[in-house]
Amino acid sequence: MPIQKEPARRVKPYQIIQAVTGIGCAGYLLYRLYTVLIGSPTYGTETWARFMIAGLILGSVYALIAIGYTLVYGILRMINFAHGDIMMIGAFGGYFTLEAAKSIPAGGSNFSDAYPFAAVLAAFLAGVAIAALSGYFLEKIAYRPLRGAPRLVPLISAIGASIFLENAAQLLFGAQRRDYANPAVLTRGEGWTLVINGAKVILPYTGALTVILSLLLMVALYMLVMRTRLGRAMRAVSENKQVAALMGIDVDGVISQTFIISGALAGAAGVMWGLHLGLVYHFVGFIPGIKAFTAAVLGGIGSVPGAMLGGLFLGLVESLGPAVLGISFQLKDVIAFGILVLVLIFRPTGIVGEALTEEKV
Amino acid sequence: MKNMIRNSLRTGIVFGIITVFLFLVGFTGTAANILADLLNNESAPPLFGWAPPMLNTVIFVGLIGLWAGASGASREKDVAGDPYGAAVLGGGIAGFVQGLLTGLVMALVGTLNERGVMMSKYLAELLPAAVKQAMLGFPPPGAGAFYLLFLTAAGALGGLATRGLGRGGRRPREAIRTWAREKVEVLPWVQSLRRSPAVKYAVYGILLLGILLLPLFAGQYWNYTIGTVGIYVLLGLGLNIVVGLAGLLDLGYVAFFAIGAYAMALLTAPTPHNLMWNFWLVIPIGILLAAVTGILLGAPVLRMRGDYLAIVTLGFGEIIRILSKSDDLSDFTGGPRGVPAVAGPDFFGLNVNSGIAFVYLIFLSVLLVIFVTNRLQNSRVGRAWEAMREDETVSRAMGINTLTQKLLAFAIGAAFAGLGGALFASRNQFTGPEDFNLMVSINVVAVVIVGGMGSIPGVIAGALVLKGLPEMLRQLEDYRVMVFGALLVVMMLWRPAGLIPSSRRKMEIDKDAGLAETAEEGRGK
Amino acid sequence: MTVALETRGLVKTFGGLTAVNVVDLAIREHSIFSVIGPNGSGKTTFYNCITGFYEPDSGEILFFEKPMTGLPPDQVTALGISRTYQNIRLFANMSAIENILVGEHSRMRANWFEAILLTPRVVREEKAAVEKARQLLNFVGLAGLGDQQARNLPYGAQRRLEIARALASQPTMLLLDEPTAGMNPNETHEMTLFIRRLRDELGITILLIEHDMRVVMGISERIAVLDYGAKIAEGTPAEIQGNPRVIEAYLGSGAASGIKPVVRQLE
Repeated sequence: MPIQKEPARRVKPYQIIQAVTGIGCAGYLLYRLYTVLIGSPTYGTETWARFMIAGLILGSVYALIAIGYTLVYGILRMINFAHGDIMMIGAFGGYFTLEAAKSIPAGGSNFSDAYPFAAVLAAFLAGVAIAALSGYFLEKIAYRPLRGAPRLVPLISAIGASIFLENAAQLLFGAQRRDYANPAVLTRGEGWTLVINGAKVILPYTGALTVILSLLLMVALYMLVMRTRLGRAMRAVSENKQVAALMGIDVDGVISQTFIISGALAGAAGVMWGLHLGLVYHFVGFIPGIKAFTAAVLGGIGSVPGAMLGGLFLGLVESLGPAVLGISFQLKDVIAFGILVLVLIFRPTGIVGEALTEEKV
Repeated sequence: MKNMIRNSLRTGIVFGIITVFLFLVGFTGTAANILADLLNNESAPPLFGWAPPMLNTVIFVGLIGLWAGASGASREKDVAGDPYGAAVLGGGIAGFVQGLLTGLVMALVGTLNERGVMMSKYLAELLPAAVKQAMLGFPPPGAGAFYLLFLTAAGALGGLATRGLGRGGRRPREAIRTWAREKVEVLPWVQSLRRSPAVKYAVYGILLLGILLLPLFAGQYWNYTIGTVGIYVLLGLGLNIVVGLAGLLDLGYVAFFAIGAYAMALLTAPTPHNLMWNFWLVIPIGILLAAVTGILLGAPVLRMRGDYLAIVTLGFGEIIRILSKSDDLSDFTGGPRGVPAVAGPDFFGLNVNSGIAFVYLIFLSVLLVIFVTNRLQNSRVGRAWEAMREDETVSRAMGINTLTQKLLAFAIGAAFAGLGGALFASRNQFTGPEDFNLMVSINVVAVVIVGGMGSIPGVIAGALVLKGLPEMLRQLEDYRVMVFGALLVVMMLWRPAGLIPSSRRKMEIDKDAGLAETAEEGRGK
Repeated sequence: MTVALETRGLVKTFGGLTAVNVVDLAIREHSIFSVIGPNGSGKTTFYNCITGFYEPDSGEILFFEKPMTGLPPDQVTALGISRTYQNIRLFANMSAIENILVGEHSRMRANWFEAILLTPRVVREEKAAVEKARQLLNFVGLAGLGDQQARNLPYGAQRRLEIARALASQPTMLLLDEPTAGMNPNETHEMTLFIRRLRDELGITILLIEHDMRVVMGISERIAVLDYGAKIAEGTPAEIQGNPRVIEAYLGSGAASGIKPVVRQLE
């Protein structure tokens, strides 16, 4: 072995800026944490608990949507811009089902209140089914013919599809915000009461349902991707479409199924959104869609566990962030986007860091 | 044969869904109103017992049926020497399926309506009167049956028409093209006209003159529209550099527009700062501020791969809007209420605020920006941008410092947006957060894409089509954004290079200098 | 003889994989030097280290005795090293002549501001650049095809256009990555002659990655053999043909077609 001389590493100016920004941000965050927790506490434990609960619930919805982005991105290397609108469609599916259940008389009152379990299940099934179907047709109409086109082309098509879906929904259903008709036992805002610091903190039923159900769905999806034939095919296609096709995998079929699965998850997220937060309208999917994409990037796009972690993290940051930084809640979206920018600058591979294969030179 | 029937079935289903969808979003009624304007039959006597609105609905649905039939049949080549039978069958099947779907929905909706169910609670456009109009005076099942029969007939007719109009099976468009190629383009005077640069300049000159004189006759409302189109041309040309030439998808372009507008507003308006600077002073400041922001944002972000860039810029655009709207900053930005009384330009003491003069000011800016873009595009810098768009890795190996070039593209694009924003705020004499929502960014992207990436005439055409045309079709306003979304998808599927794709400049051979000989020489090698 | 390019102890790893393992090479000026090796032996990674796309983990690269380790690709090109690609990578939607003009980028000075003003200097520079591009088109035998879009050119013409584009940056050293891949024997022969012309007429030092042993043995002055990222042999074509380690490396990985005649000769 020849003696290796270490070449003089040139420190690039960008790395200096990176370091300075990083240290600055971290320092400020620590300072703020110290201030709000120890220095001059603004909120009591009970308020922090409320923030945490809200953040977890929101985060699990984001996570569910983020998985859809990650699956599609993993396979097609494209941002399915209309994914948030698939969630909106799912939310409407659940809405109409619950409205119908409310209007059918049964057991002294109506179907929804008499058999809440069945009604909610039906709402989920309807939302999931319609969203999965929309996902399938979205891919078939707006993306499949563009396979192999330059990257910008399918992205623009996706933006177009998103605008179309939002406005078609507005024309069909009207612009007003609609209240989800939850069954009586799942009334929004009601829940188990915890007493922290002598103050009541409500753990809402709808929130618990959201968190538990989305965890179950995520585990199921993870199993699907890791353990089943379809999952294996999906991973193969995401590695290399040509080779996968040569190995006898029906690439188009796998892509279709990916869109169906990601649509289904978005649909479930939409119904959860409706049950927990209540308001549904044509634009309801837009912001969660963008946030969920942020979450997917945070976690490392293409990675399913990354999307889950990213979603939960983003939900928590969004609900705790304004309090920690001492800014108004109006600016919570600024925090979400700010985090996205910072993550992309410092760790473009995301939290889980499934290294994105560098483009072959 | 089997294939043909399957094709027609599929076409029928697609058109059926489209027909039902158009009815559910209330477009059928709107279309009937437009037809009434076009045919001028608003107060005509009833025909077959249909008052004009109903008659127009029938005409509109019939037109869709013709189209369905035509496209159901157009896939069929001559089947066993009998072009007409196959066409009528193909069109008829498509029409029948379309009619079946439409008829079923109509019958269902009509029945519910008669029972007094308020469908408009859930489907906003299904007001009792609208449903009644769609029933055409029949009882619901009858209306369903009518639509079935009517659309089947229309489909068959449409199928027949594909053969009748196309002169022996050829599509009419092709027939016209062939005629032009064979009969017109060989005429000596046509050829000499095509060759002569004088003709080209004359056509451009007349067009330019027409545009320049337009504001004098257009009136206030249209001048406002022309100004808006002009500002979108400015924005489109700026984004064209970023997206079209350098290949960087910026979905937060509105941020730079906002910076230009807020610079103009905050520096010239009496509230919230009462600085009252001069318009002409603020224009370069707005441009500069936008460019600097472009560089500051670009420096970290431009290292990312394409789609990350799209989402980060989108986030940035939203950040700027949320900040400008926020109550926390309202002392500085005017908050959600915006900034009123933004100054207009004065010209040697002559106030030329709004109206015709402002349109000319916008024209001047557009010309300036076209000039700059043109010079850049045909230079070393422009080539470097296009090379990056084509293959970033290789362009680095060709000695291009891609980060610098990207920053340059970003900054120049931002500068144009800053100019556009400053003019926009001044023209409206107001600026507020809602002027800068995401739709602006997406609109501008669409202007560039629909027009033709990297093509200056394309951007102008895109702005005219996307911002000008909707103003002319005010009745369709409700459907504008939806159609816009669909248009983006359709453009990508049908013509991804845009309406007027960019053309490559001929460089190897000096213009007109013996084109034929050199080509032959090349082949001889 | 001056050494044009020298690498000292070059190492590049990806995760656990060592793609380039302590490679020392010295390439003399005006020579044709080939790097061969079985697939996946690290040849292209080696190129990417030299051209600045990868930063080596350790080791040094010297160009005419000046250290250039870790320089970004655009500065490497500015120094006078230019390259082509195994799978042709032209700017497909630009015309042939524009491709060459992009190659001239690093030798041109016009900045954006001058370009907008169109100063006399820019006009002169642009004129000279187009003239030079025409000459290059002539040199590679593509005269008359300059205004064609690059993607519409036939395969062989695309290869030659890629070389013309690389030449446009006035390199003193040219890195060719499998320039005869996908060519028939006739075209391969022409390309071999052409590579020699590059050296003889333009005085360019050539570093060549190639699988076709006839080409390699025919035109190289020296050859280095890489296997699993390490240099296992270096010498003249005759020395390499007789080197048992080289044969083992090729046979071990499934005997590349080109080496067969050599093996038979040994038997």
